[in-house]
Amino acid sequence: MPETIQGYIETVEAQIRWRRARPVVSLELRRHLEDQRDAFAAEGREDPERLAVEEMGDPVSVGTELDRLHRPRPQWGLLGMTIALACLGAFLRVGFACSSFVMTVLALALGTAALLGMYFLDVSSLARRPRAIYVGALAAGVLALCLLPHVNYYTAYYIRYVILLYPAVYALWLYSCRGTGWRNFALAVAGGIPLAVIAMLASFMFGLFILLVCGLVLLLCAVWMGWFGPGRWKFAGTALVLAVGMPALFFGMGYGESFVMRLRLALHPELDPKGAGYAGWIMKRYLEDVPLVRERSGSFAAGIGFGGRMYGGLFGGERGYTEFRIDQEFIPLSLLVEFGWLAYLLLMAAITALLVWLLVRCLRQKHQVGRLTALAVVLSLGLETLFSAALNLGFVFFVAHLPLVSGNLHTVIDMALIGLALSVFRGGSVLRDEPPTGKRRSVFPWRVKISVVSTKEE
Amino acid sequence: MELDKSLVSGSMAMLVLKLLEDGDKYGYQMIEELRRRSDDTFHLKAGTLYPLLHGLEEKGLVTAYEGEAAAGKPRRYYRLTKRGGAALREKEAAWNDYARAVGRVLEGGACLA
Repeated sequence: MPETIQGYIETVEAQIRWRRARPVVSLELRRHLEDQRDAFAAEGREDPERLAVEEMGDPVSVGTELDRLHRPRPQWGLLGMTIALACLGAFLRVGFACSSFVMTVLALALGTAALLGMYFLDVSSLARRPRAIYVGALAAGVLALCLLPHVNYYTAYYIRYVILLYPAVYALWLYSCRGTGWRNFALAVAGGIPLAVIAMLASFMFGLFILLVCGLVLLLCAVWMGWFGPGRWKFAGTALVLAVGMPALFFGMGYGESFVMRLRLALHPELDPKGAGYAGWIMKRYLEDVPLVRERSGSFAAGIGFGGRMYGGLFGGERGYTEFRIDQEFIPLSLLVEFGWLAYLLLMAAITALLVWLLVRCLRQKHQVGRLTALAVVLSLGLETLFSAALNLGFVFFVAHLPLVSGNLHTVIDMALIGLALSVFRGGSVLRDEPPTGKRRSVFPWRVKISVVSTKEE
Repeated sequence: MELDKSLVSGSMAMLVLKLLEDGDKYGYQMIEELRRRSDDTFHLKAGTLYPLLHGLEEKGLVTAYEGEAAAGKPRRYYRLTKRGGAALREKEAAWNDYARAVGRVLEGGACLA
């Protein structure tokens, strides 16, 4: 039987096989032992530390019991389903989008590595450095804007893969802004602005849309969890007013016309069948006589899958017609036209089932930052699935990709994001929400001390 | 009088939940409170309490958060959840039934004719 606090803690920790659980358990036991030792010392008892240790009970049986309680929760089912869907997506990309076999296999391998890498990541390490991650994500966005090649006219196309990570980054930012009062709430809202500006500068309107919708939902969840103190309705009301006010402001600035026209053409592509409504119009024509099940018809016109025109962007210099080139976003439509509705519905049902499974696990999480991060992942993938389904049925509003199916790089990012959510579920029993410090902290995690030393001689 | 431990172990979860009914507490507080309220009859070891608390948290009967104790010391507080409150009421009812039945047997009455 150990006689010191340190000895007791070490003996308990030695029984716990999951290393990540050890510090969580030992911190609580150590605090208890210190309280007991101080109480004995206050009573004037001799050797209070040894007495406190004796009060605790057998460290081996305590450690064994805690080891039984704190085990990682493997997510083999979700991991298997994600990899299976990614394999199906790779098969469809090679079969329907003429994707290079080597590149597709490479993307699948990279995606699996990203999935497993994130799965085994300690999410609490991210929660300990939320502002550093936020600043890093901003810097990555700015660098991507400046350095990545501009392939789609004037936009740095590949920046979208950074922007797709922003909802999860914003969840961590919200976590770092916890604290009572309007200052923290204002900081939480303000943190979303630079991320949105980067999405606007990149002309990645769907990324901006995902960020705004996810940001609003995450902010409301943070308010509801009491991250900004009491007065939830006031904060929630302010968030909703901002959510309504921002689009109203853009309409007032003259971008509303472009938005309305884009929405109108998405709903009624037949209004401009040879112009901006072409892609939607021809897709609806293709869908007119598709049966439930069809032997491979070979009737799908490849041209639809490689480009089209969309009426304007929502902001900035993208007004007027915008040409777009898509090579993989129409894989679900190809499947539908080639094999009938059943194949399309099965594919969409499989992706939806994965997302619903993720959402159910997410809502069961007790760890707040973990739950919010996982929710950001599920929401952004859910929005992509929803708009991809709409796009493939002729509603050309956003060029959305289907998670795990469209795009090699997209698949890698999707798998990394799903791995992040699974990491939260895996480590759920030992994740702990750190209390807000209550101190006013700088937005930036680093401080530079500048000392001015006079060299002038007296 | 030394209490038979087996009498206590089965009802310890109920006692811990009952302690939290009055307000959030951390582990050391719970042990002290239990000792005080039972006139030193229940001397719960911390090594028994923490696995029990972690198990209750796992089942969603209590939640835990970091708070400040006296002198600003950070401590892990436990709070009874709605589910925990419902479980407590069930356990209390079952215990009362059990205690009444044992009482009747010990008193030698209430037998069917």
